[in-house]
Amino acid sequence: MEGRNVNVMETINKTSWEIRNDIGIITLDNPPENYLVQPDFVHIETLRKWTSYDYLKGILICGAGKHFSGGGKLENLFRMIRDKENINETISKGKAVLEHLENLDIPVVAAIQGICFGGGLEVALASHIRICSDNALFAFPEINQGVMPGLGGTLRCPGKAGFAKTIKLILSGDMINAEDAQEMNLVDFIVSKQKVFDYSFNLLQKLTKDRPLPVINAVMKALKNARLLSIEDAMKEETRMFCELALAEAKRRNGLQENQA
Amino acid sequence: MKIPECSTVQLVFDEGIGFLELNSPPSNTMTLEFFREFASLIGFMRDQQEFKALIISGHGRHFSAGADVPVLLKEILEKTETDKAGRLAGVPEFLSNNYKSLLMLENLNIPVISAIRGVCLGSALELALFSHFRLCGEEAVFGLPEASFNLVPGLGGIYKLCCISGQATALVRVLKGSTFTAEDALKYNIVDKIVPKKALMNSALAFAREVMQDFKVEKRRLYIKKYLS
Repeated sequence: MEGRNVNVMETINKTSWEIRNDIGIITLDNPPENYLVQPDFVHIETLRKWTSYDYLKGILICGAGKHFSGGGKLENLFRMIRDKENINETISKGKAVLEHLENLDIPVVAAIQGICFGGGLEVALASHIRICSDNALFAFPEINQGVMPGLGGTLRCPGKAGFAKTIKLILSGDMINAEDAQEMNLVDFIVSKQKVFDYSFNLLQKLTKDRPLPVINAVMKALKNARLLSIEDAMKEETRMFCELALAEAKRRNGLQENQA
Repeated sequence: MKIPECSTVQLVFDEGIGFLELNSPPSNTMTLEFFREFASLIGFMRDQQEFKALIISGHGRHFSAGADVPVLLKEILEKTETDKAGRLAGVPEFLSNNYKSLLMLENLNIPVISAIRGVCLGSALELALFSHFRLCGEEAVFGLPEASFNLVPGLGGIYKLCCISGQATALVRVLKGSTFTAEDALKYNIVDKIVPKKALMNSALAFAREVMQDFKVEKRRLYIKKYLS
C-alpha cells in the first residue's frame, strides 16, 4: 500500500506540519535561524492533533533552510518576565510538547543541519534518533545570558553524554561540531549537508514501511520502558507485548493454513 | 556435585569453570525443552559454590539461530489465556520463566562469558546480551529478526540493547531486523572483542581465568579494558 500524503501544510507559531508517505514532518519554520517563538513552539493540543492520525508511522523534525534551530529568543523570555506573564506555565507547556514527542509510540527522528542551539538542541534530544550534517554546530548558550536550559536539556543530556560532559557543555556555553557531538553520543549519524533531510526521511521509511503498526508501537514502548522502568518490570512488559503479537501472528498463520486447506 | 542431565544443552564443570553448550546442532535452535533445561541448569549453578565462572557457547559451527518460532507460536496459542474478545488476559507461565531465567543468569555472581561463533540470532542474541562479557569469532553473524515476522524480541533484548548500544541503534536494529557483522557488533558494544574463530574458546577460557579471581560485576568495563582491548 502506498503511504498517505496530506499536502495541505499547516503552520502555527512558525512551526509547520505535513504528511508524506505516512511520515509526519514537523518543520521549525522561522528562517534563517528558526528561533523558537515560544517554549511551546507548537501548542500541545495542536501537536496532539497532528500526531493522532492512526496511520502515521514516524515523525521527522527539521528546520527550514540552512539551520535546525537557534533555540529560544531569550529577549522574548525576558520581555515576558517584565510583563509579568506566567513564565513557569509557558515553560511547562514547552516541556509537555517535548515529552509528548519523546513518548510517542512511533519513531521520532531529528534531521539537524547548521546550528542546533539551546531549545533547538533540547528538541533534538527529545527525539529518538538524531541525524546531523557534517557542518552542524551544537551548544547550550543559555549560560552566556545567566540562565540554563529550561526544556529538559539538563535531564536528557546526561542520559546520552554522561554528567561530566553535560556539565562542561552547559557551564561553558561552548559550541561543538558534529564529530564532537557524535563522540559525546549527542548525535547518532553524520551525513553530508545536502543529504541530511533525505537520509533521515529514507531511514524512517526503511525502518517502518514493511512493519505493521503494532510491531512499531511495541518496539517504541519497550524503548520507553528501558528509559523509565526497572529491568524486571521492563522485561515483564516486553514479554507481555511479545505474547500479544505472537498470539495475533499465530492466529494469522492458522488463518492462512485454513485458507490453503 | 551431580549436574542435571539435559538433552538440548550440556553443562560441564572443569577446574572451577562451567561450560554451558547449546546442543541441538546444526543451528542449536532454542526449543521449549531448551528453555526448561537452561532454566534448571542456571538454577543449579546459582545454588552451587564451586562454579567460579561460566562460559556459554554453541555446539558445532553456530552459537544459535534463536527460538523455534513455529512451535513457540503454537504453544502460545494453546497456553495463553484470552478474554471473550480474544485479547491477551495473561502471559503463560512458561514464557515468563524464559525471561526470568535470563535475569537469573545475569544475577549469577560469577563472570558469565558468551563465546559466539557462527550465527547468533533472536533469542540467542538476547541470551548473549544477558551475559557479562561477549567474545566472538570474526565470521559471527548477529541479528534480531523478529520484526520481519511480525514479532518483537521478547526476552529483554530491546531493554538490553538500548542500555548497551543506545536507543538509536536499538531502534534501527530491531525495526530493520537484518543481520549484521562482528565488526558492527563491536561498534555497537554488543561484543567486547573479536578473535580468530579457532582461538575463540581459548580466549574465553584465558579471560575467564583472569576475571574469576576477584569478580565484581560493577568492574565490568575495567576488566574489558584490562584484558580484552
